[in-house]
Amino acid sequence: MIKYFKDIITGAWSLIRGLLVTLRNLFSKAVTIQYPTQKLRMVDRYRGLVDLRTEKCIKCYMCVKICPTGCLSLAHKENAEKKKEFEHFKYNMELCCFCGMCDQVCPTQAIYMNKMYEIAVYGRDKITHIDLLNTGKYDEWAHPTVK
Amino acid sequence: MVSILTFIVMVIVGAVVLGFIAVSAMFLIWWERKVAAHIQTRYGPMRVGWHGALQSVADVIKLLLKENITPEGVDKPVWWLAPFFAVVPSVMVFVCIPFGNLFGIDLIPRDLNIGILYIIALTSVCVLGIFMAGWGSNNKYSLLGGMRSAAQIVSYEVPLIISVVTAAMFAGTLSMQKIVEAQKGMWFVFQPNMALAFLIFVISATAEINRTPFDIPEAESELVAGFHTEYSGMKFAMFFLGEYTNLFIVSALAATLFLGGWQGPFLPPVLWFLIKTYGIITVLMWVRWTLPRVRVDQLMGFAWKVLTPIAFANLAVSGWVLLR
Repeated sequence: MIKYFKDIITGAWSLIRGLLVTLRNLFSKAVTIQYPTQKLRMVDRYRGLVDLRTEKCIKCYMCVKICPTGCLSLAHKENAEKKKEFEHFKYNMELCCFCGMCDQVCPTQAIYMNKMYEIAVYGRDKITHIDLLNTGKYDEWAHPTVK
Repeated sequence: MVSILTFIVMVIVGAVVLGFIAVSAMFLIWWERKVAAHIQTRYGPMRVGWHGALQSVADVIKLLLKENITPEGVDKPVWWLAPFFAVVPSVMVFVCIPFGNLFGIDLIPRDLNIGILYIIALTSVCVLGIFMAGWGSNNKYSLLGGMRSAAQIVSYEVPLIISVVTAAMFAGTLSMQKIVEAQKGMWFVFQPNMALAFLIFVISATAEINRTPFDIPEAESELVAGFHTEYSGMKFAMFFLGEYTNLFIVSALAATLFLGGWQGPFLPPVLWFLIKTYGIITVLMWVRWTLPRVRVDQLMGFAWKVLTPIAFANLAVSGWVLLR
């Protein structure tokens, strides 16, 4: 008989405690990010798309050589002042395995992985021949709007 | 001539009641989603309208446009009638719910002198719809859900009615309007034995309308939504409508029987009634999103071993208080 009443009282008490927890939550701020309008900034070590700071690149071909999937293709020529000039620097995201080896091996931090995470596109051709020299289009990708 | 006038009044009152039920159910669905979301530190619906206010409208339109699927092997008449059996009794209950008065007109379609008896009788019929859905669906889970619902209602009806009887005893009448008027000086809930009756009423009412923590007839994790597994489109929406109408009804009953109905200072009576009713609904939602579902044996044990004895003891004490 004592157990009967004890059960009722402990049950009621645990119910009140549970209700207090949810009440506290009810008036606390929501943690949701309203995705298309608000965007989270990715962490520093996030590996997004491969991107290039063209002015820093010394055309050493380290990234092209170390890339396990061969998704980077670089060509250069020498101009009249014996300086190396880009012919093309293409990136095939379809092949890329986002390992970050190119980022690690680059002696001048020219090639890096940006914070872009909205990488779905409507056509295959849009990801197979990404022109790394035309980095202007990456600017908004590189830093999605911070919350 | 008089009969035509009566008929027109009936149609208008019926239309107003149906409109209120539909709008109230849509509001409650939105409100429940919002309360649930904020309890889980989310926002809930945010896109359609201001803070998702039109989300329910969008959902209703979607459900209206959906195909009406009839699975193979269902017991057709039973299967088709079940959603209506789930909704119609709850709509009929609105005949005796006193909303207060506006400009001297009592907002109650018909103040029956057996009002509370009529309401209790009709709310018990609601389970028939659920049981028919379970039976007619030709699905083991649905049948189990329907059976569980029937067992649950039979068990929880006992403490519910006893707590209602306590209130009726103190009011000395079964008419809903007169029960409200009997609480003019003091709401019943401020008396200790009536506060206990109120608690018992709210707990058993939660079980009656199959809400968490007593939602075993539609337990998603065990019965894949139970009695309404096979229903889709507008038929599913009918069950939803019935569920939220029942939620409104039990809260309105609790407000009327124990919290003084539309009585209250300063504000208009209608507003008092709605504040109390929606307040109780919000508390029920709060409880729903706090507690986990109980097991079937716990549910039955709770009804027969805890609620019913306490309700009977409370009834005896109340009788003694009245006769003293």
